[in-house]
Amino acid sequence: MFNTAIIVKSLPMLLEASVWTVVYSLTSVAIGFCIGTLMCAAGLSQSRPMRALAAFYVSFFRGVPLLVQLLISYYCLPLIGVNVPSSVAAVGTLALCTGAYIAEILRGGFLGIPAGLIEAARMVGLNRVQILTRIEVPMAVRFTLPSLVNETTMMVKASSLISVVGVLELTRLAQNIATSTFQPLEIYLTAGAIYFLINGAITLAGDFAESRFRVEKAR
Amino acid sequence: MSFNPAILTDNWREILDGMLLTILIWVVGTALGLVIGLVVAIVQLFTNRWFAAPLTFYVALMRGTPFLIQLFVIYYGGPFFGLDLTPLVAGVAGLALYGGAYFSEIFRAGFLSVPVGQIEAARMMGISRLAIVRHVQLPQMLVIILPALANMTVLLSKETAVLSVITVNELTSVIQSIGSTTFAFAETLLFLALVYWAFLEIVTAAARRLEKRVGRFMLRTQG
Amino acid sequence: MNAKTNPNARPIIDVRGVWKRFGTVDVLKGIDLAIRKSEVTCIIGPSGSGKSTLLRCIAFLEEYSEGEIYIEGELLGFALEGGRRRRVSDAEVARVRRNIGFVFQQFNLWPHMTALENVAMPLKLARGIPREDATKRARAMLDKVGLTNRAEAYPSQLSGGQQQRVGIARALAMEPHIMLFDEPTSALDPELVGEVLQVMRDLASEGMTMAVVTHEMGFAAQVADTVVFIDHGVIAASGSPEQVFRREENPRLRQFLQNYFERNVFWQTTDEVPAP
Repeated sequence: MFNTAIIVKSLPMLLEASVWTVVYSLTSVAIGFCIGTLMCAAGLSQSRPMRALAAFYVSFFRGVPLLVQLLISYYCLPLIGVNVPSSVAAVGTLALCTGAYIAEILRGGFLGIPAGLIEAARMVGLNRVQILTRIEVPMAVRFTLPSLVNETTMMVKASSLISVVGVLELTRLAQNIATSTFQPLEIYLTAGAIYFLINGAITLAGDFAESRFRVEKAR
Repeated sequence: MSFNPAILTDNWREILDGMLLTILIWVVGTALGLVIGLVVAIVQLFTNRWFAAPLTFYVALMRGTPFLIQLFVIYYGGPFFGLDLTPLVAGVAGLALYGGAYFSEIFRAGFLSVPVGQIEAARMMGISRLAIVRHVQLPQMLVIILPALANMTVLLSKETAVLSVITVNELTSVIQSIGSTTFAFAETLLFLALVYWAFLEIVTAAARRLEKRVGRFMLRTQG
Repeated sequence: MNAKTNPNARPIIDVRGVWKRFGTVDVLKGIDLAIRKSEVTCIIGPSGSGKSTLLRCIAFLEEYSEGEIYIEGELLGFALEGGRRRRVSDAEVARVRRNIGFVFQQFNLWPHMTALENVAMPLKLARGIPREDATKRARAMLDKVGLTNRAEAYPSQLSGGQQQRVGIARALAMEPHIMLFDEPTSALDPELVGEVLQVMRDLASEGMTMAVVTHEMGFAAQVADTVVFIDHGVIAASGSPEQVFRREENPRLRQFLQNYFERNVFWQTTDEVPAP
């Protein structure tokens, strides 16, 4: 029998845990955005060492499974004398990982701006900084917004992996309840539904932001 | 802190087995995912909405929830439906279903990328719907979506690590158990990261080469 | 040019009271048109008048909203059941329109196939003709449109005019009873228009039944048996080229032709060319 009572009973706890899921994933996206911006700038800079650093960073954090990154930060940070709470280490790792993806997204956004628009700005006398802040950044944000929203939903999903290194969030709590009640199907489906709703809300917010830009485009 | 690489060489047999299993899971999961993706895309685009709507929901669900939760539902929730799957079977099935949802979106975009006029021309020649897919749409779209397919295939190879959580004995799981019995976390986990990294770089480079070759073919035909 | 029509013969295409709506916009408002064997009908009119839509309805690339279209006596796209019409299956549509050839403005060649494959592939897939025979017939068709030497070229390696001739060969290979041309020269550079029109002239003189949506008034005047002027979704004038181009008084038609001449005449009149 599908046990709906257990769902009703554990729902408040699961919802509470999902707050941590949202906090952890949004925090890591915010930090990751800063890292990504820096790495994108490094990648597009004139300096060869900077470009190499950016390339190495992006390649490593996109080339190694997030779970492995989390295991490394969990087991190896104490070995080099860094003792931080596991949640901090986990969020830091999520941020580093998403930073690599965001760097690539932003890079694509900047490179996607038609050269003619920059030339036009130069010809009407805008200076380098004005071109960056008035033309390039606004256009890159518009270009990349869907990808950035998508990356955020990816991080909400990826944050479930921090349960493996013992951080309490939605997946971890669902595991705890599932093993103590022996009703794994009901609990995991409920947890899945909560993730689905969180990501649905993020996607809706993204669509709203995008539609505002689109009005501007239609004019 | 000491660093003892002998831990790896001492356990080379288990590590090798883990690698092979990882590759097996990846190849089988991806192949099944591609089949699922293509079928889902075709049904979504070419049948009525009663068939399409459930599949659209499936795709949204797989894309909107964590892979780990999906594995838990299949592996721990399977017995509820009388499906007592081994971890390996549950893991491969999970990977295929997860990948299939993403692949279906790629295929869908591919189908829509072929200009409508070409399909109208084929219809005017009296060519059947399926033959249009086979002879007009697929050959052109495969070239266009190849980078996206390759990208997703590479992503799936990383997801195989998650199968360790449901106790599939793939590489991550093997390395973790060696690490926790010997307490040589640094050696084992850094090695693990390097292996995945090297593997992904190789696969990515291979995909780029393939794209280039196909690109040259395109240059010849469209050039 | 080839006036050989028996007005009592059953038309190959019979359009009766056809309306086409896109959302709330009526693009065609009750079109009646009959095209008989070996007749060349040129459909002219301003852009947005509905002339291409009419041709696409006759090919059932668009579903018409009201009225009837008969292809050699068979109702196209629908079955009448107790006064109501029901959309028939795609296979049935394909069967009824199997004798219609269609040439597109944008050629719509399949870019991943050579010219030869573009012509041969439908023969194999839609008609089940064995590979060798299909290839042979495809070569003959490419010969006919003057592309014997370009059979192995991909569309991207051909000029627009050559691509359009492949498009014509592809349609002809299916041995259609009528050829529909949807602005076949509108996407071409001016210097390439002539070669395509020449192929179409040849076809007309062989007695092919044709309906041509076109902006080439010279072609219409010389080749057409009937010229149809469509404006705002209705046939505003029709008749022989002589009648439509010289005698018809419809002000919209006169305005349309006036605009055309102003665009195309680059020297006032030949009388004013100074003597050498």
